[in-house]
Amino acid sequence: MSDLSRRNFFKLGAGIVGGACAASALTQIGQPSEAEARSTLATILPYPRTRLASLKELSVGKDLSRTYPDKFSPISLLKLGQKAINGVGPDQDIVAFSRYCTHMGGTLTYQSETGAYHCPLHYAMFDPAKGGLIVIGQATDNLPQLELEVDAKGDIYAIGVKGLIYGRQANILT
Amino acid sequence: MSTTHHGEDRVPVPPSDAQQFTTVCSYCSVGCGYRVFKWPQGQEGGPRSHQNALHTDFTKQQAERSGKWISPSMHSVVTEHDGRRYHVAVLPDSDCVVNNGNHSIRGGTHGSVLYGQDRPTADRLSYPLIYRGGNQLPTTWEEAIELGAHVIKTCLDTWGPDAIAMKFFDHGGGGGGFENNWAVGKFFFSGIGTQMASIHNRPAYNSEVFASGDAGVAALPSAYLDAELADTIFLIGANSYETQSIYFLEHMLPNLSGATMAKKQRLLPGEPHHPGKMIIVDPRRTSTVAIAESVAGKSNVLHLQINNGTDIALLNALSRIVYEQGWHDQAFVTNRTDNFDAFKAMNLTQDLNDAVRITGIAEAQLMQAATWIAKPKTETTRRRTITLYEKGLIWGLKNYENIASAVDLGLLTGNLGKPGTGCGRLGGHQEGYSRPAYPGKRPPVNVDEVAIKGGGSKVFWVAGCNPVGGTLNAQQFRLSLARRTTLVNQALDQTAGATTQEKAAAILKTVEEGGLFLIVQDIYPIETAKYAHLVLPAAQWGEMNLTSINGERRLRLYQKFMDAPGVAEPDWKIMAMMAKKIESLYRAEGKIDMASRFAGFDWKTDEEVFRAASVGVKGAQEDYGETTYAMLRTLGTNGVQTPVKEIAKGLPVGTTRLYENDGKFKFISASWPGFPSQVQQLMNDPRYPFWVNNGRANHGWQTLYDDARKPLVIGREPLPYVEIHPLDANTLGITNGDLIELFNPYGTVTAMAVMTDANRPGHVFMLFEHPRGWLNSLTTDYVDPATTIPYYKGTKAGIRKVGEMPGIKETVSFVPTNRV
Repeated sequence: MSDLSRRNFFKLGAGIVGGACAASALTQIGQPSEAEARSTLATILPYPRTRLASLKELSVGKDLSRTYPDKFSPISLLKLGQKAINGVGPDQDIVAFSRYCTHMGGTLTYQSETGAYHCPLHYAMFDPAKGGLIVIGQATDNLPQLELEVDAKGDIYAIGVKGLIYGRQANILT
Repeated sequence: MSTTHHGEDRVPVPPSDAQQFTTVCSYCSVGCGYRVFKWPQGQEGGPRSHQNALHTDFTKQQAERSGKWISPSMHSVVTEHDGRRYHVAVLPDSDCVVNNGNHSIRGGTHGSVLYGQDRPTADRLSYPLIYRGGNQLPTTWEEAIELGAHVIKTCLDTWGPDAIAMKFFDHGGGGGGFENNWAVGKFFFSGIGTQMASIHNRPAYNSEVFASGDAGVAALPSAYLDAELADTIFLIGANSYETQSIYFLEHMLPNLSGATMAKKQRLLPGEPHHPGKMIIVDPRRTSTVAIAESVAGKSNVLHLQINNGTDIALLNALSRIVYEQGWHDQAFVTNRTDNFDAFKAMNLTQDLNDAVRITGIAEAQLMQAATWIAKPKTETTRRRTITLYEKGLIWGLKNYENIASAVDLGLLTGNLGKPGTGCGRLGGHQEGYSRPAYPGKRPPVNVDEVAIKGGGSKVFWVAGCNPVGGTLNAQQFRLSLARRTTLVNQALDQTAGATTQEKAAAILKTVEEGGLFLIVQDIYPIETAKYAHLVLPAAQWGEMNLTSINGERRLRLYQKFMDAPGVAEPDWKIMAMMAKKIESLYRAEGKIDMASRFAGFDWKTDEEVFRAASVGVKGAQEDYGETTYAMLRTLGTNGVQTPVKEIAKGLPVGTTRLYENDGKFKFISASWPGFPSQVQQLMNDPRYPFWVNNGRANHGWQTLYDDARKPLVIGREPLPYVEIHPLDANTLGITNGDLIELFNPYGTVTAMAVMTDANRPGHVFMLFEHPRGWLNSLTTDYVDPATTIPYYKGTKAGIRKVGEMPGIKETVSFVPTNRV
């Protein structure tokens, strides 16, 4: 979306959410100062900074189930074994995505044979190595991808989400 | 590194008092119902269910299939003529029986291509453009229409009606509908009287199913319900998961999974029922095949991986097996059909060994298919089979006999006019055809060859299509168009400051010497428009009221909910402006006869044209009788299935399926003709070893006119792609993402390689229309002489690697699409 509509969106959001983009709202959750510094997201939403796992818990091709930004939003954390778009970690191959299909909210499973997420409802597929790009299917957005960072201890944190999680008006529920 | 598109992480919700409209998808024949919400920018509904028009609690995560989720692609901000800005959300309608709230990637992303000056649709045509000194510059409707009218009239007066050629949409949905089609037909057939007319995706003015019409079977005889009730669904040349997605997901798959068993038992008591079986005729192992197998189990899906261009041999072999087994419907053949003997003498003499050799399909599979199509369920209960075909058959070799052999099999097995049966098209576009009769003959003249490449016409008016890439043998068409339109440019370059009449005189002189005056009417500055002398901006879906029917003849009103950009107008109004101007020019000369041919374009509203168009559908599958917009508003997204039988209690009464109690049909004999000389020459030349099949795919619609402006779609398909078998790729030193050139004597095109086992070695599949590479540069100039329909689906080419395209291959996915 263009800068212009982004600006309008900001104006709109500020009016409706009631100051959600103000620092006071952000400080209530997580560690916003780090998130603000690192996130590439242009957003008004107060994303928490949430520890998902440590590097040691991951093995190539097997995804871990977590939730983010709240317990009602299941996500998949995955080490692909090859460099991925927006991948983090020493091999830039760790990615995380919403587990809800952006078509009608089916719960996705990762299949290592295809290297893709599959939806059981209407057979959509998404490519985790390509930023959640839709491979095929009737979804109207690529799969929402989590912004990740890895700290010095090897802990993986989620700090935001690119794209709208299925079944929500905003990624952060009000 | 990331270029993957993601929408916003928040969308506004419509307030309780948002304006609401009903509409239908503008794209494919399935015609899913949609609801449109519109409210002023700066306002927004609250998150609680009583605070928004969706009555949904957005403070909570919704369950799957809630039908209340606004994806970012479903939302937009639009600007009206008065400068006011509104939020618009276009959401699938859960109350529509076509889609039950489901949507495809195509229809579900309508919100992202509404016109906006600050969006990728900013390049919508907003003002007429006129050629001036090497540019196309904005001008007034008055000047554009005056020049067009003078040129058309002088050419008509000098050379007669066939000096004016056209290639126009004829379909329903976006850019079409009964309203626009009627005005187009009235202008060109009642007004001009030209035979040099052609339909958007082909070189002539023809039906794609002449043979079905000759057999007495309308193109869309069945209801989507029939696919839920059938014992067997027989798909020919259709990749329905990707191209009729919601018909496949909401009506076919529930049959295969057994989810419609209760419905079968309720509606069709007294006979055994099982979950449906599916037969798919396709040279590719598509996603449709893979999903059907996953849902029904492999033992209930039969994929007939046919050799390109051999459908007639297959279908006749199936008819022969059915007849020899005694599985045909003798009562139906006796009571409802004619010409069986000719059919028997030709179709039923198809040698089975020859059929196996020609089609590449094993005899056991032929027997299996015939069994599933026609073996009676009990001694007294016939099997219910619905045959649904689309472009693989229509655009295969050869159109007339392809369709005939499919319809013949339907007639032989009595699968017409009963629940769970049918034999017709799936449909590409929706339908909305109503026009005065075409003044030409059958077979219709090949306009590409005679009028454009052959120089027969002097004016060419193109609307709602992009023939420089979309027509057959497109490279030669393109080069011809460039050469002839340049002559007019050169003449116009000498007319600075001239009056319109002086310009028209200069144009007249140059078209006499081989020039071509080109008018392009569209919503976007498409590739064909680059050559135009006049570019006319059309309104589209959502910017006017229009009506169309879908693949089960479901007629609905697609409501206007926003203004068109700039001074863009509905196509019917543009035709009316031109007609009125030509009428006035003839009146001024006292030529009353000619003036009267262009009279009667005084409609004030969309509905007046809709009512006028009703005479053009009388007695046809589209017949909507006395239906009005008010009735259709009441009926919302479910509308009424045509033909309308009567108006009762103020509402139209429709027809679920055709031929339940009437209809007499005719067998059309057909036999496999072998390949035409153009294709034979390619087959005999080792420089062109690859069969090139092609088609539409899941993400995009037709020429990608909207999709090129959808970041989601163009991000997925930044270039056209070619599916190539890994063995062939290995031989040629090609890998995923390489740019490759395909070439033959007709033309050349480049595309991105995608390795997949979906095609047999030696066979490739290319996306058929993409503005960054037109497959049709490779198709031959062959058309079926009986129908003037091209053999789009079969050509041959050589392939060479051009190189890598860094920055593209990294962002595109190469995960095979035919996996579940």
